[in-house]
Amino acid sequence: MIDVIQALAVIGILAAALVSGSLLAPYVVRVLTGAPTRLDRFLDPVEKRVYGLIGADPTVAMGWKQYFFAALLLNLAQMAIAFAILVAQGVLPLNPQGFPGLRWDLALNTVVSFATNTNLQHYAGEATLSYFSQMTAIQFLQFTSAATGVCVMAAMVRGFKPGSAHMGNFYVDFVRVLTRIILPLCILAALVLVALGVPQTIGGYVAVKTVEGATQTLLVGPVASLVAIMQIGTNGGGYFGANSAYPFQNPNPATDVLQIYLMLLIPTTLVFVFGEMIGKKKETRPILIGSYSLLAIDLVIGFLGSIPTVGPGIETRFGGFFSTFWTVITTAVTTGSVNASLSGINPLGILSAFMGMLIQATPGGKGVGVMYMIMYIVITVFVVGLMTGRTPEYLGVKINARDVKLVMVAFLVHPIAILVPTIAAYATKAVDAIPGFTSLPTSVGFTQVLYEFASSAANNGSDFFGAAANTPFFNLSTAAVIFVGRYVPIAILLALAGSMIGRKRVAEQSLRTDGAAFSVVLIGSILLLVVLAFLPFLMLGPLLTYFQGMVNFFG
Amino acid sequence: MSSKVSKWKTYRPVIALSILSMLVCGLAYPLLITGVSQAAFPYQANGSQVQLGGRVVGSYYIDNGFTLPIFFHGRNETNPLTASASGVDPDITLSDALSQVPRISNATGIPASSLDALVKAHERWTLWVTGDPYVNVLELNLALIAAYPSSYPGYA
Repeated sequence: MIDVIQALAVIGILAAALVSGSLLAPYVVRVLTGAPTRLDRFLDPVEKRVYGLIGADPTVAMGWKQYFFAALLLNLAQMAIAFAILVAQGVLPLNPQGFPGLRWDLALNTVVSFATNTNLQHYAGEATLSYFSQMTAIQFLQFTSAATGVCVMAAMVRGFKPGSAHMGNFYVDFVRVLTRIILPLCILAALVLVALGVPQTIGGYVAVKTVEGATQTLLVGPVASLVAIMQIGTNGGGYFGANSAYPFQNPNPATDVLQIYLMLLIPTTLVFVFGEMIGKKKETRPILIGSYSLLAIDLVIGFLGSIPTVGPGIETRFGGFFSTFWTVITTAVTTGSVNASLSGINPLGILSAFMGMLIQATPGGKGVGVMYMIMYIVITVFVVGLMTGRTPEYLGVKINARDVKLVMVAFLVHPIAILVPTIAAYATKAVDAIPGFTSLPTSVGFTQVLYEFASSAANNGSDFFGAAANTPFFNLSTAAVIFVGRYVPIAILLALAGSMIGRKRVAEQSLRTDGAAFSVVLIGSILLLVVLAFLPFLMLGPLLTYFQGMVNFFG
Repeated sequence: MSSKVSKWKTYRPVIALSILSMLVCGLAYPLLITGVSQAAFPYQANGSQVQLGGRVVGSYYIDNGFTLPIFFHGRNETNPLTASASGVDPDITLSDALSQVPRISNATGIPASSLDALVKAHERWTLWVTGDPYVNVLELNLALIAAYPSSYPGYA
């Protein structure tokens, strides 16, 4: 358990995210609705030039199919650019360490992983990627995947907004979200991170003689610019294999707290954006209460077990408390960065991490967290409607059979994408190719494989294996799971939102969705759905490990 | 011909925006941050390099690999049961540092009470003013050399 001061630290960071999120939300809404902002004087002319240059007509209004395929095609083209850069790395500039190009299956896994905001990494960046690749493949995709997430959420909200005629214009959303929200925030955060001790250079690794005269290489690079976007964009993929456990990525408690705050900031903001943009601020309530209550439950589970002391897998400057806190938050917002080795975290902390990745809306990843919450709301409205004999309605629209079918398919993508490949990894004996896997206790090994695919499907990206899973099976299977886990639910939920346009709206719903009672039912139904789908598997994994008393025996 | 034109109209924004976003987010942004950082925070931007006697000996944030009995040692990173997540943890817990005092006192002749005081003077905490106490090993050893130059000939 944690003490009073640690509890206050948790509450303080969450409160800071909530307050700044609510303050930032009106600005984000102005950006998404094209309302005037202070940056217009500089950015309006730039934007106009961009639309001219790329040949996109910003006045075109898109339906859900157009919007989705514009996003998908753009993401595919960005993957192609990054793929070419990674495989050709050896002959490209800014490669002072002379790293060779990546094998095709690792490059494919990496670009799919980063273009989808997942950031599962089957490589250690400091020993694999040139400065050029870290910037033009990794940081590039971290920006575009984050922007894509905000865009598809905005489109979904427009579909649900009463009186909407279309889903917006993807290119306009993408350009505005990047230039007016993500880039300014990252520039600010990156400079603060440098001031606090995170390196930012392209001068090459530094060879030194230590105090005792041994040789040592300081792995410096353009780290701060990457850390800013990896946290703000809920990406999570680090510059180093050890991610934010590596001191150059996270040198002290101040950078640690800042990074936890940064990963909570945008997902929390978007919860407030929903109500503002829909024109009914109260409708943010179930999403806000739902996501933050579930986060609180996650935190309680995570801190229920003993907090690890400084030992294997835990960095001294963070200690067991901040390592566990980070692990819960990073999965709750599906960022997937780590500041400890997961092998050092208590099995209940790992269970809590699973909850974040399986629910995906606590408050979830950038944009998609709110989308999943709307999915849960539609399911809950339907179930409650059945139980109370009232017409299921959300935002004034009658929820019909097709809507429910769509959300159920969107929900079922997740368990299928996680459980089928987990079984396949065992059935094909692909797990045996992971170094040291066969010597792990069964429940520990199972936890690690389940985690790998849960993290992939949830577009989270934290994992136990890291570079150890750089095998053709895991590179290709997780790439497929990541792709399905990202684009299929987005397509279905955009189709749902698109079908809302032009439908009859009632002024007064028979079942109110903006009250505390509905929020409680919502939380219950989310837990019930996730428990029904995953409990047997969680029992065989982290829970079994916990009950076997193998606390801190994960590696 | 007309279908070719309409295809190009569909794909041009996709291709052009991909390239443009790569140039802005993948090159302009990190290079801008690099330029400003190198000008405004050169010490941090280059890895917080620490000097001893005018020579760079390492980074404040990376374990310096001390092994001699006269110095405080970092975590034993070659032993998986004690290793950190990064493998280069620059810090050790306060109790770890204090447990090394008798060895250093034996090897150098510096009184244990003075070493205890030196450790205490460099104490930090995981929650700023509270939380778990720890010390930075390189900082502590450099302070040790500075305080007792006669015990560390050839280093100061």
